[in-house]
Amino acid sequence: MLLIALLLIPVAAAVASFFVRRREAMEVVNVAGFGIVFLAAVALAAQVMAAGTVLLCNGFFYVDALSALVILLTASVALVCSTYSIGYLRDDQQSGALGDDLTSIEQIAHLRMYYSLTPLLVFSMLFMAMANNLGVMWAAMEATTLASIFLVTFYGKVTSIEAAWKYAIIGGVGLSMALFGTLVTYYAGHSLAGSDALSGLNWSVLAQHAAQLDKTSMRLAFVLILLGYGTKAGLAPMHTWKPDAYSEAPVPSAAILSSALLNCALYCLIRFYILTSRCLGPEYPGHLLLLFGWLSMGISVPFILVQQNYRRLLAYHTIDHAGIMTTALGLGGALGSLGLMLHMAFHTIAKSLLFLCAGNVSQHFRTDLFSRIKGSVIGAMPLTGVVFLMAMLAIIGMPPFSLFQSEFLIVRAAFDGGHVLTGVLFVLFGTGVFAGALLHVGGMILGPKGDSPPAGPRPWRDGSLLALAVALVVIGFWIPAPLFELIRGAAKVVSGQ
Amino acid sequence: MTPFLDMQIGDRVITLMAALVLVLQIAMVSQRWIVVHIRIFAAQSFFLAMIAATIAWYNHAPHIYIAAALTLVVKVILVPILFERLVERMEIHEEIEPIVNVPLSVLISGGLTLVGYVVAESFYKPGEPGLGHNMLAVAISLFLIGFFTMINRRKALTQVLALLSLENGLFLAAISLTYGMPLIVELGIFFDVLVAAMVLGILVYRIRETFESMDVSRLRRLRG
Amino acid sequence: MTGQIIGRILESLAQLCLLLAIAPLVTGVIRALKARMQTRRGPGILQPYRDLYKLFRKGMVIPETASWIFAATPWIVFFSTVLAGLMIPMVAAEAPLGLFGGVLAVIYLLGLGRFFLALSGLDTGSSFGGLGSSREMTISALAEPAMMLAIFTVAIGAGSTSLTQIAGAAIGQNWRFLAPAQMFAFAALALVLIAETGRIPVDNPDTHLELTMIHEAMILEYSGPNLALVEWAASIKQLVLMTLLINCFWPIGLQPTWFGFGALQGIAWLLAKLVFLSCAIVLIETVNAKMRLFRVPELLAVAFTLGSLALISTFLF
Repeated sequence: MLLIALLLIPVAAAVASFFVRRREAMEVVNVAGFGIVFLAAVALAAQVMAAGTVLLCNGFFYVDALSALVILLTASVALVCSTYSIGYLRDDQQSGALGDDLTSIEQIAHLRMYYSLTPLLVFSMLFMAMANNLGVMWAAMEATTLASIFLVTFYGKVTSIEAAWKYAIIGGVGLSMALFGTLVTYYAGHSLAGSDALSGLNWSVLAQHAAQLDKTSMRLAFVLILLGYGTKAGLAPMHTWKPDAYSEAPVPSAAILSSALLNCALYCLIRFYILTSRCLGPEYPGHLLLLFGWLSMGISVPFILVQQNYRRLLAYHTIDHAGIMTTALGLGGALGSLGLMLHMAFHTIAKSLLFLCAGNVSQHFRTDLFSRIKGSVIGAMPLTGVVFLMAMLAIIGMPPFSLFQSEFLIVRAAFDGGHVLTGVLFVLFGTGVFAGALLHVGGMILGPKGDSPPAGPRPWRDGSLLALAVALVVIGFWIPAPLFELIRGAAKVVSGQ
Repeated sequence: MTPFLDMQIGDRVITLMAALVLVLQIAMVSQRWIVVHIRIFAAQSFFLAMIAATIAWYNHAPHIYIAAALTLVVKVILVPILFERLVERMEIHEEIEPIVNVPLSVLISGGLTLVGYVVAESFYKPGEPGLGHNMLAVAISLFLIGFFTMINRRKALTQVLALLSLENGLFLAAISLTYGMPLIVELGIFFDVLVAAMVLGILVYRIRETFESMDVSRLRRLRG
Repeated sequence: MTGQIIGRILESLAQLCLLLAIAPLVTGVIRALKARMQTRRGPGILQPYRDLYKLFRKGMVIPETASWIFAATPWIVFFSTVLAGLMIPMVAAEAPLGLFGGVLAVIYLLGLGRFFLALSGLDTGSSFGGLGSSREMTISALAEPAMMLAIFTVAIGAGSTSLTQIAGAAIGQNWRFLAPAQMFAFAALALVLIAETGRIPVDNPDTHLELTMIHEAMILEYSGPNLALVEWAASIKQLVLMTLLINCFWPIGLQPTWFGFGALQGIAWLLAKLVFLSCAIVLIETVNAKMRLFRVPELLAVAFTLGSLALISTFLF
């Protein structure tokens, strides 16, 4: 069965990477594993589009269009990042970034940690998207945190440990709140007829009977869930771990964390939003979501404007987009949901592309600060420079790139639904981010040739970059019909038709 | 056997144990020695397991026995042993002064207990059969006091213990609201708690190595 | 009516004799037990009686700078403590002077004694006296609210602040002790007992180093009969607090009235419970070290929180 394959293969890849001796073997195992996972994810999406939903193990696994989309996005990001990381980690090994005093055996051990933890991380994300039981979903989310902590400490620097600690503690507290929310949800559904011990927390069961859930409890539950999973998504004011974690983790991990893991956190929020809006009506959860959306979009603007470190800038950008997607979810309705799903898909591609470009830059120039690069990117690495600039333009919403379409859809949903303030704030904050990002990144990329020599050939990294860039450009103009159908299906799940 | 089957006695016993759990949580706030902190956590988890077992006895719900056994194994035996070994290796035994001084933090914990009671009242529906509705109040108080302790303390290991006591509160809330969650969920949660304790323990050790101290207020390089 | 008054007077006299007689005995027992636990031979149980006898026969040395407060304080302390002692139920649930005041009166009488003792410490003009007074006041500022909260909890449980009624309500309900409110109140009162009677870990009653003294520093300048009165008052206060703790929470063996053979039974039970509590105190003293002064507020904050939790629990549990 596809689902079992999707779960077992990453675990097998992790275990295999743990036991092999040579670096090339680890790389092959990873790429092959993620390749098969990607194909399985595509096949699963096709199955879901044909059958509506896929259930397994007496309803333990539940995959609808929303899950299938999230799984597909996760699998694609994982695949691209694994091809990228081959080149990236080889460069790190040569340049001594893993640690100057490590012998080659210790370096291989270090790489082994990366190559075993990444498939485990992907496994937890896939498990989470497939789980029907809300408690199991929570456990998988906690597993993603635990798997990624040691990815953040990969370089072993003082700042890495600090970043990992913040990530662990803030994530831990957030997930405890989410657990509390899950518990209260279980309590709300406890009195439903026919809810026995095992299926009482199943999302499909709860969604069907949502109108009969206990209202007061659901109110409290939603607040807790929003605070809890919102922490994992990086919504303000629980966002403080994000800039640190994304700037300290190795770039492929940061790419996975910022695109795939963000999607997963939003997925959990969406599931609970559906339950709450069916129980209490869409205004209550919608208003709360809008509030957090405003906060996140608003907080990212000043930090982007005065940013000096381009990886932290990308992190704040992620916070901004988490806010955009939360706003879209809060707006609800057909337009809002479609905008949300489109944005999720486009953002995944664009954000991972951005992080990979940033990785290229940081490895070549050995610095994370704008002030030290000063415009020589395009001279030293033309391909990276062009792609970086293009991806930046895409992500801040410049037409004709795809993100413009999704953001436009969201603004339209805001004004159509009468949320004028939201629409205005959206445009305002978007402008701020636009200006800041373009200023900094443009200044970094475009400029006269600096002193650094041009970069040598880098097949793995540039190849992955190119693949994603092509995907980004193509999607701006033409979305393949099956993909669009999948996105539409996911939107229907959110908006309840 | 009849006296044991009487719900009244069961209610009394559970109320007593819940009160002890609360007192232990407040004792954790006023504690200075890290090893004592770990042992108080173990004692608290022990009482929680006993509460779960008592509820399982009176409600004839076997799956709660498993949750109680898991609590016993994971939180009373494994995690404390793990942390005590960590403390031995790191040779740090004393907590430094918390951000809010001890008498004030004890008073704040008392205030948070009151808040917990008030919140729990809104959940309590009279007439619904349930052993010890006050357990939910204790659970929410544990949650709030654990949260406060995390913000208040400066040593990394104490923050981890506070996080775990927060989870204890959630376990108690689960037991009191819905007689525990489905077994598979409980298993998942316990597994996560164990792995989290191990991961955080390793992280604490690395902090100690890198910063020469567990004082998390030294972790201030990343800003902006 | 007259019969009642005569009965009351007889009861008061009996309780007075009991108080005066047993108080030094309790102190002696605690000292002897502590010595045994520390594997010393220690003083005999009757040593405090011999000390009092010796002190009453000695002359007094009074500082020149002392005023009337210095001279009056031993009497005030002694009489207020004895009066407080007559208002608590010792052998019978009926306190002899219980009509004149309940729990609040007891607390305030003890507070009155402490107030004058602190004043006299300042009055001598020596720095150690001032040191002791300020420390004592710090501790009492935190201990008294805790004591009040705990006592109020018990009072609410019994429906009145009259100690007679509190003890009466407690007779016959032995498992009431296990209710959380009672447990918290008992814990708070136990901590306050240690603070008020000046035991380790709050204060060391056997210390000879002035810098570590609290109670001893206040009475450093007293000698002769004055010192005897002050020491006797201190042991009576200890007895009063211990009896309060015992009879509010474990009223086993408490008789309804003084008369009949029940009185002897009551005295026997009282002595037994006092010995038991003394053993507990000795255990606490031996196991712990004296806390540094600025850590004492932490302990008392815990007592205060326990007291407030006790009060809250009566309403919410």
